[in-house]
Amino acid sequence: MKTYLGEFEELVLLTIATLGEDAYGVSIQQDIETRCNRSISIGALHSTITRLEEKGFLKSWLGGATQERGGRSKRFYEITQAGKKAVAESKSLRDNLWSLSKVNLSASL
Amino acid sequence: MKQHQPPKLARKFFAWYCGHAKVEDLIGDLDEWFYQNLKTKSPTKAKLIYWKQTIALIFSYAIRKRKQRAASGPYSSASFSFDMLRNYIKVAVRNLYQYKYFAILNAFGLAVGMTVSLLLISLVSFVRTYDDFHTHGDHIYTIVSERTEGVEESIWATAPFVLAEQLQEYLDVQEVVRIQASFREEIKHAQGTLSLQGYYVEPNFLKVFTYEVTQGNATYALTKPNSIILTESAAMKFFNSTEVLGKTLELEQGDLMEVGAVMKDHPINSHLKFDVLVSFSTLPPEQASLSDQWINYDREYLYMLLAENGSQKKVEEHLNKIASDSYATLPVKVSFATKHLREIAMGADYRMAIGPKWEASGMIVFGLIALLILLPACFNYTNISIARALKRAKEIGLRKTMGGQKNQIFLQFITETVVITLVSLAGAMLIFFLIRPEFLNSLAASSSIDLSLTIRMVLYFILFALGTGLVAGILPALYFGGLSPIQALKNKTHAGTHGMRVRKVLTIFQFALSFGFILCLVVFSRQYQYSINFDFGFNKENIVDVKLQGVKAELVKTEFSRLASVQSVAMSSQLMGLSYSSTWVKNADKDSAEVNQLFVDRNYLSMFNLTLLAGKNFPEETWQRERFIIVNEEFLKHYKIETPAEAIGRTYLVEGSELEVLGVVKNFHFASLRYPIDKFFFRMNPEHFAFAHLKVSSADTYSMFTEFENHWKTLNPEQKLEADFFEEELNEGYSSYVVMIKIVGFLGLLAITISLLGMLGMVVYTSETKAKEVSIRKVMGATVYSLALLLSKDYLKLMVWAILFAVPITTTIFYLLFPKIQYYSVSLTPWDILVSAAILLGLGIATIASQTYKTATTNPAEILKGE
Repeated sequence: MKTYLGEFEELVLLTIATLGEDAYGVSIQQDIETRCNRSISIGALHSTITRLEEKGFLKSWLGGATQERGGRSKRFYEITQAGKKAVAESKSLRDNLWSLSKVNLSASL
Repeated sequence: MKQHQPPKLARKFFAWYCGHAKVEDLIGDLDEWFYQNLKTKSPTKAKLIYWKQTIALIFSYAIRKRKQRAASGPYSSASFSFDMLRNYIKVAVRNLYQYKYFAILNAFGLAVGMTVSLLLISLVSFVRTYDDFHTHGDHIYTIVSERTEGVEESIWATAPFVLAEQLQEYLDVQEVVRIQASFREEIKHAQGTLSLQGYYVEPNFLKVFTYEVTQGNATYALTKPNSIILTESAAMKFFNSTEVLGKTLELEQGDLMEVGAVMKDHPINSHLKFDVLVSFSTLPPEQASLSDQWINYDREYLYMLLAENGSQKKVEEHLNKIASDSYATLPVKVSFATKHLREIAMGADYRMAIGPKWEASGMIVFGLIALLILLPACFNYTNISIARALKRAKEIGLRKTMGGQKNQIFLQFITETVVITLVSLAGAMLIFFLIRPEFLNSLAASSSIDLSLTIRMVLYFILFALGTGLVAGILPALYFGGLSPIQALKNKTHAGTHGMRVRKVLTIFQFALSFGFILCLVVFSRQYQYSINFDFGFNKENIVDVKLQGVKAELVKTEFSRLASVQSVAMSSQLMGLSYSSTWVKNADKDSAEVNQLFVDRNYLSMFNLTLLAGKNFPEETWQRERFIIVNEEFLKHYKIETPAEAIGRTYLVEGSELEVLGVVKNFHFASLRYPIDKFFFRMNPEHFAFAHLKVSSADTYSMFTEFENHWKTLNPEQKLEADFFEEELNEGYSSYVVMIKIVGFLGLLAITISLLGMLGMVVYTSETKAKEVSIRKVMGATVYSLALLLSKDYLKLMVWAILFAVPITTTIFYLLFPKIQYYSVSLTPWDILVSAAILLGLGIATIASQTYKTATTNPAEILKGE
């Protein structure tokens, strides 16, 4: 069964991929907010992350103690093989559609 | 510069909401956001954002998921698994087994405490089933009437039949059942007569109420005049068979009744109770005028079946419209109300109501008594459990150190209590079975109760036991759950001081209650002795009463006078000291007064040793017309006659005839001791005689009674001789005291047992904890006596306090209540109080002594060698 990947889910997955080793709650949210120029709710972000974990696209682990946030550790996220596959499928679908398009889509850029 | 902190409240709230879920990273994220925001925004704004984010997280899927995961995780204590429950039960049973002595003490105390409640529960659960077997039961209502006659207002369970005709026209009412409850006849039978009681009903009675007709055509039977439906048990009584269709019963006055159908006996929980249903057409046609029919309806009952969607309220409105029209011109004002079928047996007691009554007020008193017995038992459990914290503290400390959560410890202790209450329930049920027959006997309406165990009842019992377990166990469970593990392991629990005052007050209350019961018992038994040995002012020895049962007084007199064992024979209308009748008397000034009376013959005064103060006895000869009365001293007092001699020859108008005072007797107790002596006279009218009194001398009672029986047979071959010693019958009249003594004695026994068990538990505990102190004292030279005193002194003090506390209260209650029970009653003497106090202290000391003595005589080396 092919799992459906939502727009925001894809965005979160890709952001985590771009952040690499430093993907945790605050950094993911900041990255999305600056890149997309839109404000997202912390609740929505973590809900999405939880769903992605349940789908097996993400894995997470607790980091060590930190200085800046009262010693509380961060939870880091990393994209799994299944996650990579899911974004790749999503991309190939889009590329396919782009190449088939009868209208010149890139002209509007 | 001041360092701003994230809002504490928000963080606490978040932590509380998430509980055991792991959210450390999220709190970290929130804090990081806060400090970042502080750099660019105002502190207030930052805090506001913190709050917003917290709330967003709380409502997010992420937290819900994490909480779920936490709930089922391996370290969660919120999860409730059956394995854990099994472990709790296992630990509970082991603990009870290890501390057998306390377990038995606790279980026994709780069992005793629960018995009264079990009686109450079984009674309530039975009463609640009253009239639940009717198929249309939900829509059956009865009509009750509120009568106002002048200033007197009363509510009757009856309603006039004429109302039925008008009600039938109303749409919501499907059926109106008329029940005339006055059928009570003596039926001729091979061995004399047997009485039958029943209702006159129409065929629709069986349409509305669900009673099972087994043979014959019910509609036909209830339509035809002089036709009846017989219940199976009544059929067995008369014909020794239930195949009785078409047979006839002969009433005493000669009428014949044909059995048109046979039905099963009504269930015991039916408020309509009857042996026979008689067709309505058997009733003589209504002779009275219409207005009389609206006013006199003593034995007329109306039941109605409402339509599925019929409204009780609307029918009531309709009823009262009829009432206001019908009673407009009548001297009596009546308004009607409806009551649901299921409310009849449990509702208020109205005049002329059919069936037994279970009023809420009586049940509440019963409930209070049950609580009064149960709560001390629960309290004892709580008390002993907490006091023994010292023993258990190490176990709990260890459990907590190994990761036991507060609510796990709580559950463990609750389980322990529940296990013990279930064991006690078994014991309580044993006592319940033992006392059930006695309990039923002491209830007025015992024939309409069936307290045999049903599944529903057992369910109630178990629920009740669980509830009791919760009440008794919640305090110890909370206490142990909240124990700090470090203190517990160090054995530094504060059980000693924990709620010491409350405990003392409750113990005093228990003993005061026990004292009250003992005092009641002492006074009641004295009252009974007092009533039996009371000087009634007449002779009650060697007199045998024979019920005339319709045989002519003269015949009985001549027959029994011939016997050697009978010295003399007297006649009377009622048994003196037990019952009497009354009549209205007018004097010359036409003042009327109610005077009590007894019809006697001339032998009566001498047989009962009544003293004539003036005048003379009734004369030998009898007249066609009644002429004389013999009055008592109260009678003189009422008419303000100074000396007995003055009264002789005065005349009074009684029931239309002038009666002359022939003599005056000294006051005597013609009525029960419950009432003061009132004005009274003897009359002589042989028509009213119902008893023959035989003065006997024979010592051989058995052969005397056989002789009586043989002679009685020649007088009345159909009925059995009903004869008894007057003294025994008189004493029988005070048997209510015996019942009361039994009840109070039983409750007292329970209360005392519970309080003594409680004390025993505490004494055993103190002896255990003070064992070392006692040993050292002993080594230093203390005597056994001084040690025993040391251990028991506190408890003796409590008992003395309880007595001091109880005396004024019980005395007040006594003086308020006792004269109401009986006019001529014993007074409370200091002696009673002393005896009761001695009993309580004696029992208390006996309980303590065994334990304290044991501790005090233990060899100190045995205890101290382990140090």
